[in-house]
Amino acid sequence: MWLKFKASSIKETLLLVRDRAGLAMLFIMPMILILIMSLLQQSTLTMLEEQKTPVLVINYDQDTFGLSIVQGLKDASFFHVSEKTDGNLPTEDLLKQLVLEGNYRVGIIIHRGASKQLRLKIKKIIQDQFPESEGELFEEVYEPGQPSPNVEVYFDPVTKVNFKHAVTGALRQFSATVEAKMIFEIYSDLLIDLIDIKLNESPGFTEMVDFDEKYATGNKSRIIPNAVQHNVPAWTIFAMFFIVIPLAGNIIKERESGMSLRLKTMPGSNMAVIMGKVNVYFLVGILQAVFMLMIGIFILPLFGMPALKLANSIIPLLVVTLAVSLAASGYGVLIGIVATTQEQSSIFGSISVVILAALGGIWVPTFMMSEMMVTVSKMSPLNWGLNAYYDIFLRNSGTYEVLPYVGLLTGFSLICIVFSFFYSRKFKT
Amino acid sequence: MPAFIDIQGLTKRYRNADENAVDNLSLQINQAEIFGLLGPNGAGKTTTISILCNQIIANSGQVYIEGKSLNSDRENIKKIIGVVPQDIALYPKLSAYENLRFFGNMYGLSGNDLRDRISISVDIFGLRHKLNDKIATFSGGMKRRVNLIAGILHRPKVLFLDEPTVGIDVQSKNVIIEHLQNLNRNEGTTIVYTSHLMDEAEKFCTQIAIIDMGKIIAEGKPKQMIKEHPSFNNLEDIFLLLTGRSLRD
Repeated sequence: MWLKFKASSIKETLLLVRDRAGLAMLFIMPMILILIMSLLQQSTLTMLEEQKTPVLVINYDQDTFGLSIVQGLKDASFFHVSEKTDGNLPTEDLLKQLVLEGNYRVGIIIHRGASKQLRLKIKKIIQDQFPESEGELFEEVYEPGQPSPNVEVYFDPVTKVNFKHAVTGALRQFSATVEAKMIFEIYSDLLIDLIDIKLNESPGFTEMVDFDEKYATGNKSRIIPNAVQHNVPAWTIFAMFFIVIPLAGNIIKERESGMSLRLKTMPGSNMAVIMGKVNVYFLVGILQAVFMLMIGIFILPLFGMPALKLANSIIPLLVVTLAVSLAASGYGVLIGIVATTQEQSSIFGSISVVILAALGGIWVPTFMMSEMMVTVSKMSPLNWGLNAYYDIFLRNSGTYEVLPYVGLLTGFSLICIVFSFFYSRKFKT
Repeated sequence: MPAFIDIQGLTKRYRNADENAVDNLSLQINQAEIFGLLGPNGAGKTTTISILCNQIIANSGQVYIEGKSLNSDRENIKKIIGVVPQDIALYPKLSAYENLRFFGNMYGLSGNDLRDRISISVDIFGLRHKLNDKIATFSGGMKRRVNLIAGILHRPKVLFLDEPTVGIDVQSKNVIIEHLQNLNRNEGTTIVYTSHLMDEAEKFCTQIAIIDMGKIIAEGKPKQMIKEHPSFNNLEDIFLLLTGRSLRD
């Protein structure tokens, strides 16, 4: 049994080493895939980061409120603010037309006298806070029926609700800052009038609270996910599962050439020969993973992308890689035994891996999927592998935490191999 | 003395086939015999030999080799048989040595013993100079010779050969036949051989059976059969008499 296994492993290694096209498919193609996909996603992310939302503003209120809102929009990194079109100040109708046509995603009209009306409203509130015995604190306050400060916001009709909320939220924040500033100024003036104390200039009301944005990670180190950290493990798993094609092809080729019939006439179980194949392709899968991770660490940074950061411990990474490779090899054996021809195995093998990859979140991460698809994705072995790698890279999980995924992958491999064995005995004799 | 290979009522029908490929076939082959199973295309030769060497399973019937039942003692039978298939079942990207080492390992041979057996065989079959060349670079005759060596490295008691000389030159054919005769003579190897080359079978076999439509239609020693048909002077004419002249495929 051992001799058969060893002989089969040596034979498969020699065959694989001498198949240059096959080797290229196993190592060079996934490398190109990782490079292209990471570059594509990186540039898309960069574009998204750099692409600012075009906003057209008509500011009739050339006073504190209007100027502060416009300045706030300009200071925010995600808006590109224009106050003129073709060198001219736009009319309200033109603004609406340009937004409707999608030239600007947002149009803002700050009406005349907004600052004055806002001050009057604030003064009214302050006046109401004081007892009537104090008399009139201000020469003029807001009276019911007077116009309120008003800002009209027009959105491109294709704008999504979330984006609308983000824009109006930003505007409310700028407005609140101006309001706070005005309240401070009015109170400051009032104190001079009432008790003759002059307050120092306000230091500003923005960003009094720091919001420290972080991704939830383990305690020991903080790893921020990026395109590289998604793409390298994702496409590594994809490449490892593409072992299915040469492995299944190899089994079928052996069958078509009469080799497997010849092997059947020899003493001992033919399973030792199959396991010899699994052994070699299993090791190839591990080599692929090492190769791909090296690309993530050393090659991708040469293209301006961040280097892949490995987790603190190499053991869980190794355990998951072994399990993924075992699952891929088991699936390859299953396809090779069940498929009748090389054409069948290569078409079914490749398409099924692509489907399992799509379902498993290799192409589109599962957090972008619908709830139903997220449930379906959990059935893909590629999803188990990807989640295990995510756990290691992003959540800094240890071996114990990834064991459920390792168990699923190993179980999947065993089921494939055992099913292949019985299928082969029943239908291929 | 019981027959070394005893076949009783062997029947095989392939899935979706209308007729039996082997139909209630019974045959006895003695030890150290060179037995020729002859027949036209589709007669059932390859199916019979495939059942005998464990490649396919019969629907019914019994086969005993050296007293062991093929149904219940399959693994022990595998140890004493050698098989040389009709197709060249070798790895083209491996060298002759690598192929032979692999098949030797499959029969449990290893180390110096295996190396010596390979060395002796390649000398006998004139392949020493090509030992480390890939099979893909070999001529048809060379491939046939390596194909044969792969089946005899473990020195089987019974050797099944399915048309071992098809499509090769006279020289290669001569080397193969000579060596098989030596094996039979010197080691007492029982040889079961299929062919549709009548002149080769006439010279090579000590016993023949003519099979058609899955049934044995004639059996005996080649010379005896010719004697029994005085109007014919060779096996091919007798074969045509028994199996007819119509095309079979």
